[in-house]
Amino acid sequence: MTPSLYLWLLPLFPLAGFAINGILGRRLPKAAVSAVALLFPAAAFVQVLWIVARAHQGLALPYLERFATPWIAVTGFHANFSFLLDQLTLVMLLVVTGVGLVIHLYSVGYMAAEDGYWRFFSYMNLFLFFMLTLVLAANFLLMFVGWEGVGLVSYLLIGFYYTKDSAANAGKKAFIVNRIGDFGFLLAMFLLIAHFGTLSFREVFANISAHPDLQGGFLTAIALLLLLGATGKSAQIPLYVWLPDAMEGPTPVSALIHAATMVTAGVYMLARAHVLFGRSPLALAIVAIIGAATAFFAATIGVLQTDIKRVLAYSTISQLGYMFLACGVAAYSMGIFHLVTHAFFKALLFLAAGSVIHALGGEQDMRKMGGLRKKLPVTFWTMTAAVFAISGLFPFAGFFSKDAILAATFETPGEKILWAVGLVTAGLTSFYMFRLWYMTFFGSPRYDESSAGHGEHGPHGVHESPWAMLLPLVILGILSLAGGWIGWPAALGGHDWIAHFLDPVFTSASNAQLVVPSAADFRLERILAGVSMLVALFGWWLADLMYRRKPQLADSAEQKTRPLYTPIWNKYWVDEMYGAVIVRPILALSRNLLGRGVETGIIDGANTAMTATASGASSGIRRMQSGNIRSYAGWLAAGAAAVLIVALYLSHSF
Amino acid sequence: MNEPMTPSMIAFSPALRILPEILMTLTGVLVMLVEAVLKPRTSRKPLGIVAILGTLAAIAASVYQLFLPAGTAFFGTVQSDAFSVFFHLVIGCIVLVTLLISLDYFEGHTSFVGEYYALILFGATGMMLMTCSVELLMVFISLEISSISTYILAGYRKRSATSPEASIKYFLLGSFATAFFLYGIALCFGATGSTNLYEIAKGVADGASPLLLTVAFGMMLIGLGFKVSLAPFHVWTPDVYEGAPAPVVGLMSTAPKAAAFAVLLRIAYGAFGTAIHIWMPLVWIMAVLSMTIGNLGALTQRNVKRMLAYSSIAHAGYLLVAFTALAPMGIAAASFYTAAYAAMNVGAFGIISYLSGYNEARTSLSDFAGIARRHPVAAAAFAVFLISLIGIPFTAGFFGKFYVFTAAINSGNAWLAVLGLLNSGVAAFYYLRLLAQMYMVPVEPPREADTAHARPAFILAMAILVLAVFALGIFPGRILDLARAGAATFSGPANAASQTVPVALLRR
Amino acid sequence: MNVAIFILFALLCLGGALNLLLQRHPINSALSLIVVMSSLSVLYLLLGAEFLALAQIIVYSGAIMVLFVFVIMLLNAGEEERTHGSRAAYFAGIPGVLALFAVLAGTFVTLRLSFGGTRLGAFLVTTGDLSRVLFRNLLLPFEVTSVLILVAILGAVVLARKEH
Repeated sequence: MTPSLYLWLLPLFPLAGFAINGILGRRLPKAAVSAVALLFPAAAFVQVLWIVARAHQGLALPYLERFATPWIAVTGFHANFSFLLDQLTLVMLLVVTGVGLVIHLYSVGYMAAEDGYWRFFSYMNLFLFFMLTLVLAANFLLMFVGWEGVGLVSYLLIGFYYTKDSAANAGKKAFIVNRIGDFGFLLAMFLLIAHFGTLSFREVFANISAHPDLQGGFLTAIALLLLLGATGKSAQIPLYVWLPDAMEGPTPVSALIHAATMVTAGVYMLARAHVLFGRSPLALAIVAIIGAATAFFAATIGVLQTDIKRVLAYSTISQLGYMFLACGVAAYSMGIFHLVTHAFFKALLFLAAGSVIHALGGEQDMRKMGGLRKKLPVTFWTMTAAVFAISGLFPFAGFFSKDAILAATFETPGEKILWAVGLVTAGLTSFYMFRLWYMTFFGSPRYDESSAGHGEHGPHGVHESPWAMLLPLVILGILSLAGGWIGWPAALGGHDWIAHFLDPVFTSASNAQLVVPSAADFRLERILAGVSMLVALFGWWLADLMYRRKPQLADSAEQKTRPLYTPIWNKYWVDEMYGAVIVRPILALSRNLLGRGVETGIIDGANTAMTATASGASSGIRRMQSGNIRSYAGWLAAGAAAVLIVALYLSHSF
Repeated sequence: MNEPMTPSMIAFSPALRILPEILMTLTGVLVMLVEAVLKPRTSRKPLGIVAILGTLAAIAASVYQLFLPAGTAFFGTVQSDAFSVFFHLVIGCIVLVTLLISLDYFEGHTSFVGEYYALILFGATGMMLMTCSVELLMVFISLEISSISTYILAGYRKRSATSPEASIKYFLLGSFATAFFLYGIALCFGATGSTNLYEIAKGVADGASPLLLTVAFGMMLIGLGFKVSLAPFHVWTPDVYEGAPAPVVGLMSTAPKAAAFAVLLRIAYGAFGTAIHIWMPLVWIMAVLSMTIGNLGALTQRNVKRMLAYSSIAHAGYLLVAFTALAPMGIAAASFYTAAYAAMNVGAFGIISYLSGYNEARTSLSDFAGIARRHPVAAAAFAVFLISLIGIPFTAGFFGKFYVFTAAINSGNAWLAVLGLLNSGVAAFYYLRLLAQMYMVPVEPPREADTAHARPAFILAMAILVLAVFALGIFPGRILDLARAGAATFSGPANAASQTVPVALLRR
Repeated sequence: MNVAIFILFALLCLGGALNLLLQRHPINSALSLIVVMSSLSVLYLLLGAEFLALAQIIVYSGAIMVLFVFVIMLLNAGEEERTHGSRAAYFAGIPGVLALFAVLAGTFVTLRLSFGGTRLGAFLVTTGDLSRVLFRNLLLPFEVTSVLILVAILGAVVLARKEH
């Protein structure tokens, strides 16, 4: 019998932190709030390390832990409150608690001067609780609990600056768009219940594996619905619109939730459900296409953004597209690998950007930055590591994971076009990241020195951030450099450790990884790696040309490509389109059909017109004597007649 | 009526079958008697406490009924079983919490507090009787008791213009709807020669005049549909909820609805169980209409009580979705949803009554701006209820919807579930708008009316509700088991008597 | 003979009800209601419900209507003021009511054969029969009616008394 790993404790640590800070935080001194906020995630991280050590000593995986059996049971279906630990979970746990802890540490410095310090940290801990639940869940239902929970906390944190209207709206947008995704997830769950009578990962997947004849059909339906859920959470086409707006939240939130962890939940879910997707080539193809399209599409928008956080937001969408692409070509290990490296360098990018914003007293417009290299040396060097990593330059982390995805795509028959799209995107990525790098750190300063400065100390010029913020940057900087080495491919003389580690999880789905690569494959891989390296360097060169050596070139290029420039600058008018096609009709329906129609128009149209001019005092009387009751009775009679007629008609047509 | 004459049946008095109702009635009478003794212009709180104790006794009596073998009494007019106990408990708890909320609400504002408590208790008697009646005439009389007391309670803010207006509207339209219900009973009698649900079930199974039965069921559905504010019989809801005092709205939007849904379940699955083709399409259409009209109507409301009124129409629609599922699962899902909805909706109106007070100082959305700053605890509780109404996991609302839609899909009504889910997506928008108002809008300077401060009774009530919302969301097992045990009693009286699930439930 | 009486009093009943609605002075409406109640009692009698017929006259036409008339006179209620009609009532209500009527009428006409026929006045429901149903089978509903009445009285008190 396997000894207990106390998995249940894992999410409870941050929950306790949430409870303490949420209930007492208002009265606690700031230091105590920070201590609570750091201690509990740290405890969770230590436990994860302990689990890793146990796993290293030969703990049998997957390992299942049940608490309430059955948690809920309905006729024909039951679900347990149980956690599952396998290699995939372990990787996710490390990322969530590790990066989470680092970002918590950073926040202590970043949020020091903010109102509602305790509120911020209680939300952050709550987020970790839900994220751990999501990752540990052993069934779709519990996963959905975490899934919705992180969405809710993300909503709370986006709207954290509640004095800003835009922040509240961004939060709402994120929530509503995610509801559409959840709609898919829920429907998928219902279909799973209807067909398998269970939501447990093990049972569902075992059931699918036991029936080799199950192909496509309702499995495709379930897979596509799950995919809808994933596109919502991971900000893919068509539901990506919320993520750029989500940047209204505090920067550590963007780093933790909207870059490193929550938005990758969709990728995690695809990987988790790989058995299901493996039976539906159509769904897989769609995943791949969505991934590649989003990667490219978001990258083009990112090229023209001037808000530093928005550039990063679009690059996040784009990188998530790569992960989807990996899943779509059944290279799940590569997708998870990119998820890990991306968590490192994207969290770093956001935190470094936060450090810059902090230094400039809240300025986010890159056109008003420049020349910060000397003033913020630590930020600059760590940011450089991250930019190199995301651009895919050897030997930084992003190179390995991105190259692995592109290679896997190239080797999948019939997906050469997707590979080409991915390659072009890599070039674009390199270009806009170096653009950001140059605009922020090079050239002449364009910021207003006097208005810069931060917090209650009053304006005192541009300054490097405190060490509570810089330490996380350094840690993540090292990881951005070395974090990719866990996936050093065999073709380049490495061991591809991560793929082997994750193999037990994915063996059933991706046979490609089991094939022993030949020398020819190695040669091909090396060539591909060289090509993507060249493309990245080209992007760098172009950025260097346009934003350092000949800045006027950027303007003239803008002039010359006006037809191309306008749609990109307007983000292809997608928000406007959604507004016109979906939001406005619903509101109009509500307002006209029900609001004006039933409530006022038909009922007492004459009265409203008449009393609108009368004084307000008469409104009570008006309603007493108006035809309201009579009209309601009229509606009741009509409704009753309709019900009877429909009942008679339907019962006889059966 | 084949009353099962097992030895245990003879051993106890039939009065035990209606023990909770008897206790409620006696408490109501006691409240009226004590009211007469109390000096004028003194606090009426002792009356409230008497009422609360009586309700607690009734709840205990309901639990006790689980130990009785399920069966009928009084010549087959009432039946106590796990199903009736489930709804007794739901109603009892709603009344208990409403009394706690009301304890300080009316103090000093009206001189009819004693009557208020008595009306609530009598109304609850009616509602409880509805859930255990298996005789349509019994249902009708108890429905009238519950309705009339609610009509009057709706008009309790006598000094305002809207409250008596709400009362009159509700009364006139309600009587109109009750007439339909009564007509339906008469037609049932015409078709099957009985008003007893089991006799009707036999008649339905034997194929007695489907045409007449269809009309009869339609009539009863109209009457009950009005009580639970299903579209297209929902028109009264926004006006009445807007005018009635907030604690009363909390009560009337949940307890009478729970009772009416219990009756509808007994009629649809119990009496018309073999004629499912008659009512299934009808229920399908009304569910879609209610969800859609409710949610779209709520979208553009600026008045919070009206908004919640439309939301309650939508929730009645979700609940009706459960009716499209097959017998045991649909009944269990509907029962559970009733409990979940009760917890969150009573809570929401409780918070409104606390924040706006007797004078309804806060009515429109913008009045709730920045509440989180001035009343952080109340705002947090409100947030919990709203989140539950949206249907976020770990809250009652999520599992309520989850069971309902699972039941619908398992019975092949996938499209209904799709429509329901789309609707709940739209619904998130207006709940969020209120949440955003409370948490994300800059604080305005405090106004004079803002003197609300929480009393222990109110805090206790809210604590109970918040706990209930989470308990139903995180550990729904026990309640769900009871709901399923209730659903299992629908196979007929003989079957109901032999099943011993309820007692096992308690021993678990 | 019986049929003729039935038709006569049924028409009287309908006429009284319509008159009740159309009259603008409450006292006239109240008096029309007495016509309705009395003719209903005749219909009951025709169906053999002698106890019910008498109770109808004593309770409704007697006690309740007298109370009505007293109240109207005490309050010195004047003529009803006409209010604006409501469009919904015309466009939804009237067709709705007509449709309801049509549905019911259609149902009864369709089913007239399966209902079977009976002769008016051919049977008698004795007081004994009635009490067996009322005090045995429907004992509980009968008793519970007292709660209903209590609630109604309470309501009347609350509605009628002024706040001080």
